[in-house]
Amino acid sequence: MRVTILPDREVREVDARSVGELLKTLGLHRDAHLVVRGQDILTSDVSLSEADQIEVWPVISGGRR
Amino acid sequence: MRCHACRGPANVEIRRSRTAYCARCYPAWFRTQVQERIDHERMFRRDQGILVAVSGGKDSLALWHALTELGYRADGMYIRLGIGDYSQRSQAKSEAFASERGLTLHQVDLKEAQGFAVPDLLDTRSGKPCAACGTVKRYHFNKVAADLGYEVVATGHNLDDEAATLFGNVMHWNVDYLGRQGPVLASTHPKLVRKVKPLYRLSERETAAYAIIERLDYILEECPMAKGAKSLAYKGMLNALEEEQPGAKYGFLVGFLKQGRHAVPGGDFDQATDLRECTRCGQPTTGELCAYCKMADRGRKKSASKAAKYAR
Ligand code: SF4
Ligand SMILES: [Zn+2]
Ligand SMILES: [Zn+2]
Repeated sequence: MRVTILPDREVREVDARSVGELLKTLGLHRDAHLVVRGQDILTSDVSLSEADQIEVWPVISGGRR
Repeated sequence: MRCHACRGPANVEIRRSRTAYCARCYPAWFRTQVQERIDHERMFRRDQGILVAVSGGKDSLALWHALTELGYRADGMYIRLGIGDYSQRSQAKSEAFASERGLTLHQVDLKEAQGFAVPDLLDTRSGKPCAACGTVKRYHFNKVAADLGYEVVATGHNLDDEAATLFGNVMHWNVDYLGRQGPVLASTHPKLVRKVKPLYRLSERETAAYAIIERLDYILEECPMAKGAKSLAYKGMLNALEEEQPGAKYGFLVGFLKQGRHAVPGGDFDQATDLRECTRCGQPTTGELCAYCKMADRGRKKSASKAAKYAR
């Protein structure tokens, strides 16, 4: 399926059956990302299908605040 | 997964407490957490004026949003740091957030008011302005709050920020900082306003989920100076640990605040006591000239030499 990774909107083709598997395949930490389909944030157990358009939102910001 | 509140399909999983919420129930859960912390730590009351430190990012906008939804009297303050396009975009987001909701946003323009910008403050060793930028923010948020009569400054520091800071302070055994780290810094001088961090037990992911579900239009891109920041390395390590041990970050931070902090020499000692006024700006300091005024001198020098170079 097509996965768009924010903020640079890098597009990747990924094979994964669930949200958890998707992040694992991409080598991303679960607590550092949110996976979004359409308007919905998805929990890690949600099944994905080939036709899904997925966005991965990083949530970590740096610097001193 | 099912929503803990309504049993419908869940959207946001909270691994550390083995629960999950749907998009409809999540904002109420989030705000309840914020309210619970405000009350438990006695951060502020409803009749007090709160100044929220706003950056245009998810944390500060989520905090401002949650506080107003909870019925607090909260105004915002944004500092124009002068970090190129990033500053312009984050300023636009902050202004839009305020104007769409009829909220008051105070602003300080560093270049205009002080004659330098954050990129003029690069640290020679790290090549980054972040330490100085932190000083700039603390100084101006405090000063504006004190001048305008706000009783408390609230910042959007989340669990990941606080755990990363704690980790850094332990790594380097910054005992002074360890003693002072906490969700509330009491006022120890009439010109030092109380500082609070209502989101300190909510993770960065939970804050982002709140911002997305509430459709807050925040700046997604990072400050270009953040690249390679130590805090990001610490956050990455802590999230690697969190992957294996859900709740590790929370346990690290909350355990420290409950047990470790009191054991640190000078712990529970909030902002420095023994203060006099800076001979230039009048802000409380332990020395003759405050840390901010010394740094501002450096910044103005750098800014002037840059301008001279371009004029040639
Ligand atoms: S990353 Fe550094 S320079 Fe940029 S806003 Fe944060 S502290 Fe300031
Ligand atoms: Zn629900
Ligand atoms: Zn001063």
